[in-house]
Amino acid sequence: MPSPTLLENPLRQGLSSGRVAPPCSLVIYGASGDLTARKLVPALFELYEKHLLPVSFNLIGISRSVISDGDFRAKLKEALVKSKPQITDAIWESFSQHFHYLAGGYDDFKVYQALSAKLDELDEKNGTIGNRIFYLSTPPNVFEVIISNLGAAGLAREDKGFSRIVIEKPFGHDLASAKELNVKVREVFKEHQIYRIDHYLGKETVQNFLVMRFANSIFEPIWDRRHVDHIQITASEDLGVGTRAGYYESSGILRDMFQNHLFQVMCLIAMEPPVIFEADAIRDEKLKILQAIRPFDETTVRTHAIRGQYGPGFLAGEKVPGYRQEEGVAPESTTPTYAAIKIFLDTWRWHGVPFLLRSGKRLPKRTTEAAIQFKEPPNLLFKNNMNGLSPNVLIIRIQPDEGITLKFETKVPGMSMEARTVNMDFRYGTSFAEGTSEAYERLLLDCMLGDATLFIRGDEAEAAWAALMPVLNHWETTKPEGKFPNYEAGSWGPAEADSLLERPWRHWRKV
Amino acid sequence: MNAPSAQNIERDLTGLWLEKGDTQTQLSGIKRIYTTNLVAYASDHEDGYRVEGILGDMMQYHPGRYILVRPAADTTEAPLRYYVSGRCLSWADPEKRVCCDMVKLVAQKEVIENLYGFAFSILVPDVPVEFWWTGDLPYYSPFFENMASQLSRVWVDSSKFKDPIQSVARLAAFWNKRYPKTNLADMNWIRIQRWQALVAELFDGDWSKYLKDIKQVTIEYGEGSTPLRSLYLAAWLGAQLGWRHHQPRMNDLSKPIMFEGPKGPVEVLLKPIPAPDERADRIFAVGIVTEGEQPAIFTVARDEDPHQVIVRSEINHELAFSRVVTFEHLHSDDVLAIGLKHFEADPVWKKTLQMVGTILVHPDMSLEDKGKA
Repeated sequence: MPSPTLLENPLRQGLSSGRVAPPCSLVIYGASGDLTARKLVPALFELYEKHLLPVSFNLIGISRSVISDGDFRAKLKEALVKSKPQITDAIWESFSQHFHYLAGGYDDFKVYQALSAKLDELDEKNGTIGNRIFYLSTPPNVFEVIISNLGAAGLAREDKGFSRIVIEKPFGHDLASAKELNVKVREVFKEHQIYRIDHYLGKETVQNFLVMRFANSIFEPIWDRRHVDHIQITASEDLGVGTRAGYYESSGILRDMFQNHLFQVMCLIAMEPPVIFEADAIRDEKLKILQAIRPFDETTVRTHAIRGQYGPGFLAGEKVPGYRQEEGVAPESTTPTYAAIKIFLDTWRWHGVPFLLRSGKRLPKRTTEAAIQFKEPPNLLFKNNMNGLSPNVLIIRIQPDEGITLKFETKVPGMSMEARTVNMDFRYGTSFAEGTSEAYERLLLDCMLGDATLFIRGDEAEAAWAALMPVLNHWETTKPEGKFPNYEAGSWGPAEADSLLERPWRHWRKV
Repeated sequence: MNAPSAQNIERDLTGLWLEKGDTQTQLSGIKRIYTTNLVAYASDHEDGYRVEGILGDMMQYHPGRYILVRPAADTTEAPLRYYVSGRCLSWADPEKRVCCDMVKLVAQKEVIENLYGFAFSILVPDVPVEFWWTGDLPYYSPFFENMASQLSRVWVDSSKFKDPIQSVARLAAFWNKRYPKTNLADMNWIRIQRWQALVAELFDGDWSKYLKDIKQVTIEYGEGSTPLRSLYLAAWLGAQLGWRHHQPRMNDLSKPIMFEGPKGPVEVLLKPIPAPDERADRIFAVGIVTEGEQPAIFTVARDEDPHQVIVRSEINHELAFSRVVTFEHLHSDDVLAIGLKHFEADPVWKKTLQMVGTILVHPDMSLEDKGKA
């Protein structure tokens, strides 16, 4: 929805540039961190280049490092130039002219008072009319102190313009901490001001789930237990933990990938059509799916959830260390770097259809996709087909090579009646002249515009944790059975994951 | 060469793809993708080469069926010949090449006039059909008439019009009456869209209050041609801001264009500045002066670096803001590629063209009857 301040500018109406953010200030906590330099500032620059960033825009970075405005800008420039070497000094100067930096501890109230004064000054000087966004890109252990200080400094009030808070993942460490964080943040901000970010939702193909399902009439009639055999959602990474061992040791793959990214993708695939394309209507439907996850019990927590950890192996011909050999990882660590879980949704539409979710590190390649495998056709007519008949599969590729593929059977040309599987392929890159936007670009713009559709609501975050807690608790209180680490780097994960498939015709996809 | 027929053309194209699949990869890894049909008409042999090059470049943005119609070089050639060619786009995975094709129809001029049915027969069904008339606006052409009345959108490039004022005035006067179901698009309109965005962003937020106080607009353009892009920009400003054009109608754009704004007259000057031939008609700067309680100047101007523009405003003689943004020159294929991204009608362009129609002299419609005669 366009901002009221932009509607007052008739010259904007009908321009092909589309949705433009209203004047605002963006305050980034943890501004000296990797996310700001690698994702947020490049995303802002893309918005700037596309004329979607308002002329009246301020960025204020806050972190503990004592550096000057100039040093802050220089650091951001250095990072940006790596991905955008064509940036001239003039353009950088122009883009960054309203970038400022405040050094200070997150628990130091004087910093918040200084911030408040700075924002007022910039509102006056740059016409940002009191619109503020506070982006928490810090470790989660300081979320609460920042939020309460923002409240105490009066920065959550919306007297002049809007005040919004963006909270990076992880939103809590478990159900109890997520609930506690929700309570703390709601003491200061109202739900409509809170933007819990999951960058997966900013990806073009993830958003395309909604368009594909609800803007076409051919999919919905077959999108149910009568036609779908099972659904596989895969997010594989070829990288190891790298420099994130400290975080990863305390989180593991379930917290890192399932509670947020994979559950969100599952929700978009499984949800019922919302009655209206509005943030809360969509989030209501997603919530219902999370609430419909059949709870894991003492048995299914063992049989429906498989954990793994990579040992040494080879990737692209190169020897790579095992997880326990990575720097910062305990030598006897049992942190899972792979998980495969089978989920049943107790809804009318999906009763009995397994959702097979898996994610792992040091798998053969980096890819994310959702595959909807339809039921096998009754093989009466083509019993003699040499290759057998394969079920139809609809594959939605989220990254890389975003697109959709439908696998179906077709007759092999010739005298015999032989069928073979072929692909019908749609690729974003070939059908649209413009490339897909980076997730953070879309999400930052949405937040500026006040569109929370692609952000997670508090009850969604809690429901996702609630569904996952039995598995987390089990894994954290019991040692893995059998050999552990249980898969080689460069393989598709532990063989035990096959036990989730149950039926002989089901196979993990070699994505 | 096979006799020209839709069947033969399709057969030749199929053969072309089989050949490519076999010889280049030993795999059947070719995907023919059609997101659009684009039929282009080039007015002569030489222009045909230029247009063919542009269409070839376009394929990477919008894979589709491209049909180029051009007159034969001399009258001794066959009445109608066709050539098919394909283009495969290079992707990282050679097994997944994306290919599309071009059909070139070379015909004697009198044959072209009746070639529309044949062109329709070789379109790919179920994807949009665009028609690009690459040259001067014709006074009478059955080919143009039939294409324009039956396709979803017609592209013209007013920078190629020999009598730009007369031709644009004609478009403004007759298009909607004659082709009510067909959208008209002008490549010059696409060329000024970045200027529109830059001018618009000057007035976001609090700055929008200055719009009602605009007194004077100066648009600098490269001398050497009729400043149609500047005229479009002026008309767009007028249409979006609710200005009314003062009589008399004009055919000389060196004089100020006078509008009536909410607070009185608004003067728009189109000012030529020295520029090399290839930059004639390009906009170089836009300056907007207001006369409210706080006088203000808003400018968008090309920088010394040709890849940048500077956007700035001064309020009460003090710099309010300034920003530098990238500004790459758009080639014809870029312009068309941008234009083809949106299928739907552009209401702002319609309003702007109507405004242009109120500014320019009435066209001499009798010339069309003479053309028919």
